[in-house]
Amino acid sequence: MDAVSQLQSHFISYTSNLYGEGFVDDQFYQLQKLQDGSNPDFVIEVVSLFFEDSEKLINNMARALESQATLDYKQVGDHVHQLKGSSSSIGASRVKDVCNGFKTHCEAQNHEMCLRCLQRLKYECNLLKMKLQTLFKLQQQILAAGGSVPLLDK
Amino acid sequence: MELKSDIEDTLTQQKQQKQEQQQEQHHFHVLAVDDSLIDRKLLEKLLKVSSCQVTCVESGDKALEYLGLLDGLECDATLSSSSFSSTQSSKQEGLRVNMIMTDYCMPGMSGYDLLKRVKGSSWKDVPVVLMSSENVPSRISMCLEEGAEEFLLKPLQLSDLEKLQPHLLKSIDHSCENNTKSNKDKNVDDDNNNCKSNNKLSKRKAMSPETPERRPKLKGLAVL
Repeated sequence: MDAVSQLQSHFISYTSNLYGEGFVDDQFYQLQKLQDGSNPDFVIEVVSLFFEDSEKLINNMARALESQATLDYKQVGDHVHQLKGSSSSIGASRVKDVCNGFKTHCEAQNHEMCLRCLQRLKYECNLLKMKLQTLFKLQQQILAAGGSVPLLDK
Repeated sequence: MELKSDIEDTLTQQKQQKQEQQQEQHHFHVLAVDDSLIDRKLLEKLLKVSSCQVTCVESGDKALEYLGLLDGLECDATLSSSSFSSTQSSKQEGLRVNMIMTDYCMPGMSGYDLLKRVKGSSWKDVPVVLMSSENVPSRISMCLEEGAEEFLLKPLQLSDLEKLQPHLLKSIDHSCENNTKSNKDKNVDDDNNNCKSNNKLSKRKAMSPETPERRPKLKGLAVL
């Protein structure tokens, strides 16, 4: 197997794993479909925006939950709702799932469970970030070796 | 090799942008309203891939400002006639908006509020499409009853934009028959009449987000 085929094969199994483990869902594939020659970094740009955004939102949630003054569950819920929306838009399905649970606990005003969800959220976002960085690196390696990146759905 | 194709791509893109600007009259212009930066970026891309011109704003207030409706200068719906409407649009130096797509849930003015404001203004004939991440049938009916053309569920995909193609095609066809501005409202009225019969269909579609049909994408539709 030549270098390009090897890289492509690795890319294919890595991508399958991302879908299989539920890190990403069909919406991630929809994003790939939108990328074209006029904007070859579209997916990377959107994903980067997502991680900037999620970091800000998670910090806001943490501040609200750890505040000594009266805890504003509605505010926390609003941040969670925003993160749920953006994770859904890019296909970050595990992050989205945590947000769903988190929202319920905000509504129930369950401090303990909210804190747990926050931790889980941080974990899932960091994990996804690493996974996608690896994925993008693989793509770049394929292109650098003169190959083309296969477009894969679920 | 990659750098060269990047340069070529940039040149092609610039050329395309220039052509687009020259043919502005013939391209569908959509005003996209969403408080989420990511959703704005996604929607912008979806619309560009569908050969639309896009203007993105982050709130209902910004949308009203863009449409020239903020400082209470919007005309009374009862006063509007086609000549008045074209005066209103020419107030913005030929501002043409063929469709408004707005998120439902936004801080401050909601998409529903924006819909009502638009429908009560000189822009009332412009189709308004609502979007939401939540599938709430009563919310959907409320918007459709208020005159929304479609209600799309997020996250948006290309197939959702394809649902909007009928509006696009009719609008471009009509603007080709006659290039004069005063005909714009007449054409959009025709669209509205056709769209009313589509509303029931779109309500059903909004409630079941998975649409099995996939119509072929009509990319690069520039009618001269």
